[in-house]
Amino acid sequence: MGRAPGVAVGRARGRGDLGRFLRRHRTPFLLLLPSLLLLFAIVAYPILDTFVTAFYKTDGAGRRLVFVGLDHFRAMAKDPLFRQIVGRTFLWTVLSVFFKTLLGLVAALLLNTRLPGMRVARLLVILPWAFSLPIAAILWRWMYDSQMGMLNLLFTTLGLPARTWLADPGLAFGATLAVSVWTGVPFMALVFLAGLQAIPEEFYEAGRIDGAGWRQEFTYLTMPLLKPTFAVATLLSAVWTFNSFVIVYVITGGGPLNATDILVTFLYKNAFEFLTFGPASAMALVIFLILLVFSLAYIRLYYREEVLAA
Amino acid sequence: MRVLRVGSIYVLLGLILFWLLFPFYVMLITSLKSAGEIFTIPPTWLPNAPTLTNYVEVWSSIPLARFFLNSLIIALGAAALTLACAIPGGYALARYRFPGRGIMLYAILVTQMFSPVVVIITLFKVLTAYRLLNTYTALIVTNAAFALAFSLWMLTGFFQAVPQEVEEAARIDGCSTAQIILKVLVPLAAPGVATTVIYTFILAWNEFIFGLTFTSSVRMQPLTVGLASFISRFSVDWNYLMAGSLLATLPVVALFLLVERHLVKGLSAGALK
Repeated sequence: MGRAPGVAVGRARGRGDLGRFLRRHRTPFLLLLPSLLLLFAIVAYPILDTFVTAFYKTDGAGRRLVFVGLDHFRAMAKDPLFRQIVGRTFLWTVLSVFFKTLLGLVAALLLNTRLPGMRVARLLVILPWAFSLPIAAILWRWMYDSQMGMLNLLFTTLGLPARTWLADPGLAFGATLAVSVWTGVPFMALVFLAGLQAIPEEFYEAGRIDGAGWRQEFTYLTMPLLKPTFAVATLLSAVWTFNSFVIVYVITGGGPLNATDILVTFLYKNAFEFLTFGPASAMALVIFLILLVFSLAYIRLYYREEVLAA
Repeated sequence: MRVLRVGSIYVLLGLILFWLLFPFYVMLITSLKSAGEIFTIPPTWLPNAPTLTNYVEVWSSIPLARFFLNSLIIALGAAALTLACAIPGGYALARYRFPGRGIMLYAILVTQMFSPVVVIITLFKVLTAYRLLNTYTALIVTNAAFALAFSLWMLTGFFQAVPQEVEEAARIDGCSTAQIILKVLVPLAAPGVATTVIYTFILAWNEFIFGLTFTSSVRMQPLTVGLASFISRFSVDWNYLMAGSLLATLPVVALFLLVERHLVKGLSAGALK
C-alpha cells in the first residue's frame, strides 16, 4: 500500500492536493488515525488479501503458489456438497430469523402488557442473550446427549419419545436451529419491546375511543408503527444468524456427514482442517459478497429512517 | 373475559420463559451432581446428594485458573485498546466535518456485519509470519478491531450529545484538544465510555473463533475455547464442565445486565429514535 487509494484513483488528485487535504483536516485525521490503522490491519487488508488468494493455488500454510483464475469458483459451482450447503445456509437463516422474529414479537407484546411481574420477566428473557454463546453451545450439546441429557428426560416425562438428537441428520439440523432461535429471541424481544414502548399511549386511547378492539389495534396501530424496528431488527438478526459459526461448530461440528454445515463452518473446515486455503478464500469472497448485500440493505434502511425521522 | 385474557398472557409467557430458562436449570443441577450421578441413565431431575465439590475440584481437573487469567488479560487489553482508538476517533466524528466523514460512518456501521471468518485466513497467515500465534497480542488486537466499530458509533453519539458550549468554555480557559477530550468530554460522556468498555470486555470474553484459531497451546487458550476443547474428549466430565461454565459466565452476565439497555439502542441504531 504505497499510496492512499480513493484519492489517487479516479479523481486524479495530485500529491499536492493530498498534502493540502491532510493539512486542512489535520486534527480529525490524526484523531481518527489509530482507529483507521486498526481497522485497516485487521479488517480491510485481510479482506483484500483473501480476495487475491481466492484466485491462487496455495500450499498447506496458505501461501500463494500459482494463479489459477476462476478455477476455485468453477469447482465450487460444480460441487454438489457446496451447493447443498449454500441452500442449507439460506434455509437456516430464513427459518431461524422467522422463529426469532415471531417468538420475539410475541414475548415483547406479552411483556408490554405491564401486568404485575413483567419487570422480572423482562430480566429473565434477557438471560440467554447475556450468556456467552460458546458456553451456551456447550450447555446445549450436553442437553442433547441422547442417554444422559436432560432434554430426553423432559421428553419422556411429558410422554414424548426420546431421540438421538445429534446423530440423525434431519434432527441435528433442527436441533442446532432451535439453539440458534434460543439465542436470538431475547434480542428480538428487547428491541420490539423498546419499539412498543416508544409508541405514545395517546394513540391507543384514540383508538379505543373509536372502538378499536385489540385485533384492530394490533393490525392498524401497533404493526405499522413497529415497521422500522421490524426491518432493522430482522436484517441484523439475519446477518448474525448467517454468521453463526459457534453454535454449529461446538454442537455438531457440522456433522453428521456435513448435515449441519453452513457456509461459515464449511469455509473454516476447508481452511483449517483440510488446509485448502485457495478454495476457502474463494468461499470467503462469496460470503463477503452476500454480507455486502445485507449491508447495503441495512444502509438503505438506516438512511430512510434517518430521513423519515428528520 | 379479562381474567381469561390475563391468564392466557401468563401461561404463554410462562411457556416461553420455561423454554428460555430450562437450559440454565440443567446447567445448575448438573454442576451440583456427583461424578457418578452424571452418568446414570436415565438422568435425575434433582441431584440425589447435592454437592459443591465440583466447584472446588474443577480448578484442578482443568486449568480453569489459567483460562480465567488468559480471558481477563485479553478482555482488559482489548477494552483498553478499543477505548484508546475510539475516544479520539469518536470525538473527531462527532465534532469535525471533513470530506469522507459520511462514508466513514457508514463503513463503520457495515463493519458490524462482517464475519470474522472472512478475514481469518489472512490473519492466521500474518500472525504465523510474525510469530504471534499463542500470544495475548494477537487476541487483544483482533478482538479490539471487531469491537471498534460499535464503540466508535456509540461514543460518537455520546460526544454529540455534550453541548458545544461546554467545550468552547474549556477552550477559552486555554485547554488543548487533548485536554478537552480527556478532562471535559470523557467525564461528561461517562455512561457511553463505560458501555463501550463493558461491551468490548464482554465481546472479547465470549469470543470463540479467534481464540480457537490463534491458540494451539492449552496455556494460552481463553475460557471459551478451553472449556469447549474438553468436549471433544472421549468421556466428558460434564459436572466439572458445567461448574466451570457457570463460574465463567456469571460475572459477565452481571456486567451485561448493567449495559443491556444501551446495547439494545446502539445495536439497533436506526430502528429506535
